[in-house]
Amino acid sequence: MNNIIAVHSYKGGTGKTLLSVNLAATFAKQGKKVCIFDLDFRAPSLFSVLKAENTEVWFNDYLNSTGSDINKVLVDLSSRISGEGKLFASLANPATEAIRDMSAKDRKWEMRALGRLLSLRETLLKEQKFDYLLFDTSPGLQYSSINAIVTADLVVVATTSDRSDVDGTKRMLTELYNLFEKKTGLVLNKVIDPSANAKKAEISNRIKATYQVPMLGLVPCFCEILRAEGNLIFVQDKPDHPFTKILAEMARKIDANEVN
Amino acid sequence: MLNNSGKKYLIRNEQFNKKSSLVLEKIREDLEKLNQKMEVILEIQKTGNQKTIPSLPDASLDVMTLLSMPDHLRKTAMTICRCGRATAEEIAEQTTRARAVESAYLNQLVIMGYLKKERRGRKAYFYIDRETKGE
Repeated sequence: MNNIIAVHSYKGGTGKTLLSVNLAATFAKQGKKVCIFDLDFRAPSLFSVLKAENTEVWFNDYLNSTGSDINKVLVDLSSRISGEGKLFASLANPATEAIRDMSAKDRKWEMRALGRLLSLRETLLKEQKFDYLLFDTSPGLQYSSINAIVTADLVVVATTSDRSDVDGTKRMLTELYNLFEKKTGLVLNKVIDPSANAKKAEISNRIKATYQVPMLGLVPCFCEILRAEGNLIFVQDKPDHPFTKILAEMARKIDANEVN
Repeated sequence: MLNNSGKKYLIRNEQFNKKSSLVLEKIREDLEKLNQKMEVILEIQKTGNQKTIPSLPDASLDVMTLLSMPDHLRKTAMTICRCGRATAEEIAEQTTRARAVESAYLNQLVIMGYLKKERRGRKAYFYIDRETKGE
């Protein structure tokens, strides 16, 4: 079962937020009940990507206080998605003061935060029948990201072909995800011109040889995504775009448990 | 068709099997008892006192601590993280390791200050005390 998914990467700018938002939207479009969480407390971005600037309740509040109710910090964005599915979000507070507060947390706070993340399995998955919880994380070895990884059933690892990214990702596979015995699905993003099937197969084999894990998806570099300037929930607004189809295939694999 | 001696042989064989499984069960119980005693001895050796087994009040089982643990302890610690509160038997079911092994690891984690242990009747429950530690 892959009900809790952490989207993580070694470096920044690999497309974690793009992947997690669109994966969540893909599931919601298919009629699933989904919630996406912004765990990038140092550089919050979901509030902006999801155009939820008027939000006054934050995921920070849920992690900060004992006995707090997760439902109070969920924002319902279902109206943004076509179909019967439900899309909720819990956002990281972008105020500078909140960012400062979150980066000064100690180990004990992080331990309690882990407890609260783990309890979402009971409250949201079991009691409220959510199908998927997605954590959009901060890159590299951050407390909040590792908390998300420990809580998750599946880690979707976003990576690019950049040398610094490849080396770091390799290290994280052996020294982070493996140590926690986590299932991982690798997504190679920003691939230049993989249109020919032969090239796709070659890249896929190269990835398997480099990382020793199978690939969940290969996302070409799409100018349309850059042109949208983060203004779209891409899979919703461009239903016929190849990116939407790639995301649908990833969602299918995750749903059918065909990862690893 | 079996003749009389054949039947007798089968009955004897069955009795022998029963007896040997009883013996094996007894050996297993004795080994568990021995293991429990060993745990107590180890704890006493470490603390020098049978009554007070101190736990380090400041040890927190956060993710960085989990990362730095040896593999065998991390597996147990991760499982208790997921379960919240469990007996050694419940942990063993998840890790597919022997109950006695998990019991030893759990007690080690208690001594290290990462877990709390509470006895209820004959059962010992292990848990992470997340909420009350150092506000």
